[in-house]
Amino acid sequence: MRIPELTLPASMASLLGRLPATPPCWALVTTLNQLKKRDILPADMSLLAGHSFEVHVQDAGLRLGFSADEENFKVASVGDTPDLRLSANLADFARMMLREEDPDTLFFNRKLIIEGDTELGLIVKNLLDSVDWSSTPLQRFMAV
Amino acid sequence: MPATRPLPELVCPAGSLPALKAAVDNGADTVYLGLKNDTNARNFAGLNFDDRTAREGIRYAHQHERKVLLAINTYAQGGDISRWHRAIDEGADLGVDAIILADIGLMEYARRRYPELRLHMSVQSSATNYEAINLAQELFDIRRAVLPRVLTLDQVKQVIDHTRVEIEVFGFGSLCVMVEGRCLLSSYATGESPNSHGVCSPAKFVRWEHGSQALGARLNGILIDEYQQGEPAGYPTLCKGRFEVEGDTYYALEEPTSLNVMAMLPQIIDIGVAAIKVEGRQRSPAYVAQVTRTLREALDAAGREPQRFSVKPGWTQALSKLAEGQQQTLGAYNRPWK
Amino acid sequence: MNTLQLTLGPVLFYWSRDDILRFYSEAADWPLETIYLGEAVCSRRQQLRGQDWIALGKELAESGRHVVLSSLALIESESDLRRLRKLVENGELQLEANDLGAARLAQQQGRPFVAGHHLNIYNADTLALLQSLGARRWIPPVEMDRDTLAAVLQQVSDKGLNIETELFAWGRLPLALSARCFTARHYNLSKDDCQFRCLEHPDGLRLNTREQQAFLTINGIQTMSDGCHSLLPHLADIAAMGVRAVRISPQWQHTERVVAGYQQAIQALNSPLHTDIDLAPYADSRLVDGYWRGEAGIAAIGEAHHAHS
Repeated sequence: MRIPELTLPASMASLLGRLPATPPCWALVTTLNQLKKRDILPADMSLLAGHSFEVHVQDAGLRLGFSADEENFKVASVGDTPDLRLSANLADFARMMLREEDPDTLFFNRKLIIEGDTELGLIVKNLLDSVDWSSTPLQRFMAV
Repeated sequence: MPATRPLPELVCPAGSLPALKAAVDNGADTVYLGLKNDTNARNFAGLNFDDRTAREGIRYAHQHERKVLLAINTYAQGGDISRWHRAIDEGADLGVDAIILADIGLMEYARRRYPELRLHMSVQSSATNYEAINLAQELFDIRRAVLPRVLTLDQVKQVIDHTRVEIEVFGFGSLCVMVEGRCLLSSYATGESPNSHGVCSPAKFVRWEHGSQALGARLNGILIDEYQQGEPAGYPTLCKGRFEVEGDTYYALEEPTSLNVMAMLPQIIDIGVAAIKVEGRQRSPAYVAQVTRTLREALDAAGREPQRFSVKPGWTQALSKLAEGQQQTLGAYNRPWK
Repeated sequence: MNTLQLTLGPVLFYWSRDDILRFYSEAADWPLETIYLGEAVCSRRQQLRGQDWIALGKELAESGRHVVLSSLALIESESDLRRLRKLVENGELQLEANDLGAARLAQQQGRPFVAGHHLNIYNADTLALLQSLGARRWIPPVEMDRDTLAAVLQQVSDKGLNIETELFAWGRLPLALSARCFTARHYNLSKDDCQFRCLEHPDGLRLNTREQQAFLTINGIQTMSDGCHSLLPHLADIAAMGVRAVRISPQWQHTERVVAGYQQAIQALNSPLHTDIDLAPYADSRLVDGYWRGEAGIAAIGEAHHAHS
């Protein structure tokens, strides 16, 4: 499966941007916690605890804020300056998650924007890279 | 010269278990990795292997009849060097196929404690000539040396012709313009260097400044570069910044460039290089997969028909997308680069 | 306890033959225990050839100085090795090995040598190994901090190792070596046709950030600090740790004043009189000592440098 080169239209962004972000954010946080619980996401929570994060899906106008404690990820309002903000278009996030594209490549091309604590960004990037999808049903979607 | 040389081993990086599997699945002969601490030169938060992932990775590689190398390539620091000794003990216990060491004091320890353990001399040892390599061979029976990315192809051949030690060279990845093991720029700016902490221009010192006009990249407060809207950015590695010298602002040391030796593969095989290494333990499984697959194809093609070998556009395309700065060079192997 | 000695490191810049000869005719009268001579940076620098350095060294040795020949730090080609062998085989003067290959050649000749800072000795085991190969003195990596050195020296003493320690104590820090020549690059020249532009920059070329912060120094294939590393404020501690000598790295001007200042400071160590020596006027950049204090090397004397936190 290859992700097509596509950007959501601006009208969509303005529409989505006006919807409450809580449901997608709740879904994200729940998924993260599930993956962690099943040992698929090998997160060292001590590196993440006490930090706030925002995933900004630019073309969808969507900002997903969450935080972490010693045990879990939680939905949180992160304000204007989360400790780490990752911004990209939906298609590029998808490419990154499915390992079609290397996050560094996206970053060098200015398609992925990392703001805030650079080391925290590296921790998150390395965490995503270390997920072994081969032990999950998601394996068949992965490019690698 | 023998009629056909054996193909060099393709040695690929793994910063995580998925990256290791990606390397194996895409045709690496050998994978190299490091432990989660400052005993290796890619000591980045969240990267590398603990005991469980190392065991699983080694099992996976050996199941597929590939080799695993453990990099312990920082210099053991000061009075308490037990961490480095433990890393060597752990490597021996894990059953890795060789340990890559930089510090000759550690080579001595490894040889004394584990007489059967295969030892490689790391690129961080800065061994650029055969006298240095032969010293380590005589003293510690090292079997392979990784050459710093500073020699021309003729100089590489000169080394190969004067030593029994196998020679490994870099084939693809971010280009270190300085002699590995001989660069302290990072600690001058931050206090932490590859030799001492296993890091170069470490992320915890990096600050991105998103201004209205430009993106600024600072390392411990020092401005390494600024990028205008739409201009490709680079990680603020010190040697790849833009600086001002006598009124000119330019990449005073090195453009963000990747090394790519694909065009030279027939010559590399011909002079008897034993292994070709891919840089990038800090990169993602996607990178490892794409680079490994491409170099595997190119290397096999060069081995089959060295005379008719030419670089396929598809290979170049695949690699240039992954290259830092999207520029590629033959590096020092090619004299004009100097 | 022995008195701290002063040494003069090799000239790391490219000076003309006349300037080199003039410099050493003056240096012969300075209060130095050891003078290091030779081209340690770039194999293309041939104002003085190996034979000339050896002859100059022997002349200085006759005037009563201990003289050591510094080897090239980056040895790449067969001709680099040939020159190195000539230096080792001079039969009289010791070698400062700035490469493992140089250490091997000295060992094969059964000649004691100085283990230069490029040999990356960061612990007592590695030091003991080099000592067993014939090193009688070592220079720690310039980035090594005070506490790490103290720990190594404690073990040296515990092991009863017979080896002297010399510290890089003054001058622009030699930080990196490359295959490429940055001076040639600055002039859009290739390294093989560099036109020896380093001769025009007897203290190197200053490299500033894009906001005009003086940062590094370009010296051919070598990258140095812009800041002038100075351990002057720490000499009492250094002497107490059992360090044998401190090295002054030559600069285009005022090296004599720097040597005199260090000499004065060392003499003051054994005297109750307080002396206030200011060498800042004799450096043409900021004085830094961050490395010694376990900070970034660029941290100025007295300055804490934790900008990231």
